[in-house]
Amino acid sequence: MQPEPPASDPNDEHVLTASGEFDVHDAPIDLGVYRVEDWIAFAFFWVLAGTVFLQFFTRYALNDSAGWTEEIARYLLICTVFIGATISVRRNNHIHVDFFYRYLPRPVTRVLSTFVDAFRIAFFSYAAWLTFALMQRIGAQRMAVVDLPIGLMYGVVLAGFVLMTWRALGVARANWRRGASVLEQPELAFGAQPDGSREATK
Amino acid sequence: MSPGAFKLLFLGLMGSGVPVAIAMAGSSLIFVMVTGTVPDFVVIHRMVNGIDSFPLLAVPFFILAGNLMNSAGITNRIYNFALALVGWLRGGLGHVNIVGSVIFAGMSGTAIADAAGLGTIEIKAMRDHGYSPEFSVGVTAASATLGPIIPPSLPFVIYAMFANVSVGALFLAGIIPGVVMALLMMGTVAYFAHKNKWGGDTRFERKRVLKALAELLVVALFPVVVWTLTHQGGLPDVPTVAVALAVLLGADRIFRFSAVLPIMTPVLLIGGMTAGVFTATEGAIAACVWALFLGIFWFRTLNWKMLVKVSMDTIETTSVVLLIVAAASIFGWMLTVSRTTEMIGAWVLSFTTDPWMFLLLANLLMLFVGCFLEPTAAITILVPILLPIVKQLGIDPVHFGLIMVLNLMIGLLHPPMGLVLFVLARVARLSIERTTMAILPWLLPLLVSLGLVTYLPSISLWLPRQFQ
Repeated sequence: MQPEPPASDPNDEHVLTASGEFDVHDAPIDLGVYRVEDWIAFAFFWVLAGTVFLQFFTRYALNDSAGWTEEIARYLLICTVFIGATISVRRNNHIHVDFFYRYLPRPVTRVLSTFVDAFRIAFFSYAAWLTFALMQRIGAQRMAVVDLPIGLMYGVVLAGFVLMTWRALGVARANWRRGASVLEQPELAFGAQPDGSREATK
Repeated sequence: MSPGAFKLLFLGLMGSGVPVAIAMAGSSLIFVMVTGTVPDFVVIHRMVNGIDSFPLLAVPFFILAGNLMNSAGITNRIYNFALALVGWLRGGLGHVNIVGSVIFAGMSGTAIADAAGLGTIEIKAMRDHGYSPEFSVGVTAASATLGPIIPPSLPFVIYAMFANVSVGALFLAGIIPGVVMALLMMGTVAYFAHKNKWGGDTRFERKRVLKALAELLVVALFPVVVWTLTHQGGLPDVPTVAVALAVLLGADRIFRFSAVLPIMTPVLLIGGMTAGVFTATEGAIAACVWALFLGIFWFRTLNWKMLVKVSMDTIETTSVVLLIVAAASIFGWMLTVSRTTEMIGAWVLSFTTDPWMFLLLANLLMLFVGCFLEPTAAITILVPILLPIVKQLGIDPVHFGLIMVLNLMIGLLHPPMGLVLFVLARVARLSIERTTMAILPWLLPLLVSLGLVTYLPSISLWLPRQFQ
């Protein structure tokens, strides 16, 4: 169990000014790391925020909350979660337990980690199929307050599972090529730098 | 499929490294397919329904409010405020570390994020002042546990949902234990400072300390004044709050407060919730609007790029947490259908029916689980199993929620597998072994807090009872 040396050395920087005050600065931001699912989830999220704010506003300012806002907000949250979950599939950020990987020999962890990739792909693709089957049954039902088919929301869930399958395939391929996954080498994880969020200056 | 096989399947999947959410949903799906009790697409229906809830909408906005307050500009304000308040004490930056964590605890909901983001700053600052990496890591780790105890707190929202208790009551229940913990930790810093003959890290300047105390007073008086005006004076809720905030902004222009306005974010949220003005979700939205206003217009620390990054971080955390919640709702159902919960309950009750003894065993179990599993994931698994027993023994579920979250937080620190331990080992560039040794002395104040919270229910329950 060796501590992994970080790529850059954040320990050389200082967070205090000469007079002893705190002076940290935000790290530069690269928007290029975001992919299509990130931006779709981004759109859902801000429409959701707008909807909840509208509900808040109508309830307090007009003393009459618009009934549709609550229902639509709940569905938008579901859409945000299922599309947003794709991001963490791509970046391997879903919460997992890698305890045994520290103690098992490498050939065993290689097999286990390949099994995990296969299980993820199998689960997401079958879940996509099940969502499709579910839509066939109840997709045409109307929402409770708003006159729209419930299938719209399930369609987004389906898209989420399809995207997750796609990203899980990509991750599995990358793991196969380099012969290691994040489970085996946590330092491969996206954003593994503990202080990726901030940078200090002198 | 027997309950034993179902449990083994789930534990096997999770142990082999399958993401927890997929291990829960996948083992449930296999259980449904093997037993054929319900059509298998019901699994998806149940997952989606699991997050189809209005109270859960609080989750993304708590996270957003915390992330919005996490910019460098606001971090500097809060740390400099803490520095003015306690930096002159012996072992100054150790105290600053704890006070900073208390304030940030009121903004972000998660300990791991606190340890990584703030921990880096705290450890660097302490190194600049010549503290040993061991001491810096220890105090940073210990103070990171405050995040989810002092409201608002993500684990509390998740617990409230699974245990079917009020989020507001849990939030209030966390305040006094949080203060007790902070005081015990400051006591530990004082002990180390005394033992090693450390001095303060800033000079004692009466004016500076008084200004910091005055800011603290303003923050404390704000909810009292608003409460008096609305409840005794009969003024309407929302306009009063709006006018009070406007007055505060005016005061900020004149007195140049360092941290009053950022600290108002959690005050607004918790104050609004406990006064019954807001629901948790509305409180979270109000906090976001306030944080956006501060970031974009008042302090001008937010630009478009940062807003995108903050949103993306929020979406990622939200979907990770809520995918687990979705999977846990089908998993919890399967635990009941397969009679697993019933069996575990009967087994535990055959052991002991004494609440005192049960709490001791539950503490050991949760500490153990806490060092392997991330808190929200652990909550979604533990609550369906333990809560029936808790209710049968007549323990208050709010009290138990506090015990559970505190256990899981301590689990993040202690060996062999605490997540905070690993994060801090990286930040401080210490070996895992040295980090473990550095954290050990800090387990003492934490375990004392745990004992107090477990066996003195009034520490957590007194405050929520005042508002019932």
